[in-house]
Amino acid sequence: MKQYQVSAAEKKFIGSHILVAVLALAVGSLFGPLQAFEHAGWDFYVYLKPLIKSYYQGLTVHGVLNALVWTTFFIMGFLTFNVIFGLKRPLKNPVLNKVGFWMMVVGVVVAAIPILANEATVLFTFYPPLKANWAFYVGLTLVVVGSWVEGWGLFMTYADWRKENKNERTPFIAFASLVTVLLWQICTLGVAVEILTMLLPWSLGLIEGVDPQLARTYFWFTGHPLVYFWLLPAYISWYAMLPKQAGGGKMFSDTLARLAFWIFLVLSTPLGFHHQYVDPGVPPAWKFIHAILTFGVFFPSMMTAFTVIASLEYGARKNGGKGALGWIGKLNWSDPSVASQLLAGILFFFGGIGGLANASYNVNLVLHNTAFVPGHFHLTVATAVTLSFTGISYWLVPYLTGRKLWQPKWATIQAWVWFVGMIVFSNSMHVLGLLGAPRRVPLNLAPYVPAEWNSRLFQVGLGGAILFVSGLIYLVVIYKTATNKERVETEVEVPIAESMQDPDSGPIWLDRWSPWVYGALALIVIVYGPVLFDLIKNIALTSPGFRVW
Amino acid sequence: MSAQNMHIDSYERNWMIFSFILLAVFASAIAVAAFGMEIQVPAPEERVDPGTVATDPNSPWSNPGLREIAPGKYDAYILARAVPQWEYLPKEITVPVGSRVTFYVTSPDVQHGFKIQDTNANFMVLPGQVSKLTVTFDKPGAYNFICTEFCGAGHGVMYGAVIVTP
Amino acid sequence: MAKKDKEDNEFRPTGTVTVLVIFVITLIAIWGTIYMILVGRGGTL
Repeated sequence: MKQYQVSAAEKKFIGSHILVAVLALAVGSLFGPLQAFEHAGWDFYVYLKPLIKSYYQGLTVHGVLNALVWTTFFIMGFLTFNVIFGLKRPLKNPVLNKVGFWMMVVGVVVAAIPILANEATVLFTFYPPLKANWAFYVGLTLVVVGSWVEGWGLFMTYADWRKENKNERTPFIAFASLVTVLLWQICTLGVAVEILTMLLPWSLGLIEGVDPQLARTYFWFTGHPLVYFWLLPAYISWYAMLPKQAGGGKMFSDTLARLAFWIFLVLSTPLGFHHQYVDPGVPPAWKFIHAILTFGVFFPSMMTAFTVIASLEYGARKNGGKGALGWIGKLNWSDPSVASQLLAGILFFFGGIGGLANASYNVNLVLHNTAFVPGHFHLTVATAVTLSFTGISYWLVPYLTGRKLWQPKWATIQAWVWFVGMIVFSNSMHVLGLLGAPRRVPLNLAPYVPAEWNSRLFQVGLGGAILFVSGLIYLVVIYKTATNKERVETEVEVPIAESMQDPDSGPIWLDRWSPWVYGALALIVIVYGPVLFDLIKNIALTSPGFRVW
Repeated sequence: MSAQNMHIDSYERNWMIFSFILLAVFASAIAVAAFGMEIQVPAPEERVDPGTVATDPNSPWSNPGLREIAPGKYDAYILARAVPQWEYLPKEITVPVGSRVTFYVTSPDVQHGFKIQDTNANFMVLPGQVSKLTVTFDKPGAYNFICTEFCGAGHGVMYGAVIVTP
Repeated sequence: MAKKDKEDNEFRPTGTVTVLVIFVITLIAIWGTIYMILVGRGGTL
């Protein structure tokens, strides 16, 4: 059976997302190791002085480009592909999606100017009253609104499909992608309100001050679901594509996978206080409620773990896999896309454990703003997500460009080097955090660092060096692939695992949008409403801006 | 599409039930620590004007430092600031071992953090808000408190200490 | 078709359970270690 043909123009459009994403990753990843090297006592920032003024400017570049730009562009490209390919129809209004894409591109450029000019050294959390140049906030707004516009284009495409297929089950990759886009549209309201009602007018001089506690509350309304916006596209690939790539796997439970995505939609947003456990202005009772809801959103990830592993095991056993764990060796490890995603998944176990610890209310007193936190999110966004995305790109770029993957062996090596480097880096960061080392500090210069941290600080630098090598290999492989003269003979097959159950056999409420959407909104109002109402009622715009970097 | 019941594999159903129990156990452990062992997160204490909190003579932070409120019980008013330089005021406080110290920390400028090493005191310091937690110092020694939120160029050198004398 | 369904129905994800048991033991060990650090560092009220 011939697979659905995505038009050349649409392939090019999706490919433009991947191109911007990889460029952001390339620049942003240059600055990641510099932080790690500093910890080990090798300070390269002194040599960068004419261009980059400080550790913190480098950290801002790293955070904004890797955590925000690389992820958002890759995700919008991948989800656009999933909707088109899943629904087997072109975009309803390609101009609208193009407008969204170009808004995002312009936004990145507009935000990059003040960052590079050292006018926006506020890190990727941009907590006021640190005050960046207004262009930084305008740029961020354009990126967010651009991603909304692209999302609207995807919803319109889905609405047309639905009109023509009234009683069909939405194909899984399209369904899960649309849920992810909707989640993003709901949760980004927080940061949109933060920027438009406070930070932007303040940076333009229209208002005198801001309310830092209220700003943090808006920020974390978006900040945690942002994590799911990163993660869910990787889950889509793990659920629906990886089992097929790994060899004959089938989706173990289509219905539970859909249920998991609905739970993510409902529970991802109303739990932002778990980033604010130690904020002074939020009542502990509400913090505790958000803690319980955070435990709730851990649940669909536990479901995901089971379904994905069982889907893989099914294929491995069919291919002769034996034993309690021996079947893992029968997975198709020689495919770089498979190896990348399996290794990403293995480290995600530890990312999940660290995340649960962070989210455990008073346990956060041990961990808050320590090196444990970046140790944790380098396992999640920088490995579970990033290593999965680079793995996806190993088939997606050949599919989009019609060019063969350059040196698959090197692509596989890249994944393993990342895996090893991240274990070294992340393990030492976690331990340092438990010993009390703060995050976001050039620890080599900090006056309070005890000698017992030194061996761990060295490991941070060593891990950073290994990760840097992996990053370079990735860039070479992907550049050589995108410019490869050797073309694929036939269009690359998009890996879609069939479902073990007939998707149509699931209950009908798994294909109804309104109860879940209203449920999500209602829960947000219930668990955010009282605190936000109180903070807004007592708003104190008493903090003028500071530029102290 | 027909309305049908949800089919769930028995292994997977057991896994979901087990996950639920596990999370319930963790939540209970947290509640025990919070309500049984008094390991709590900060609660709203007081709102202040960051513009005057360090200078208004009626503000305790115009004269930050340690006050003994009862034998062995202290209030410590600490100002975390980035301007004119990155520091805590006072930089050092000294108490005898066994003291119970309640910290009241605020900022006149940007956001800071306040984490006392080897204790559970670890919180955000925001302009306009007062952060409060209590620590009992049962062992003598020097307990550094460090800034844990990015507050500008001097963030990495911002620290102080509680000296606990035998 | 009938044979395939039978095959699918006979599949028991025992390997998955093994992997997840290892995961849960690790989870309890790490989470428990951090929880004990918390308890060891004392009250805050």
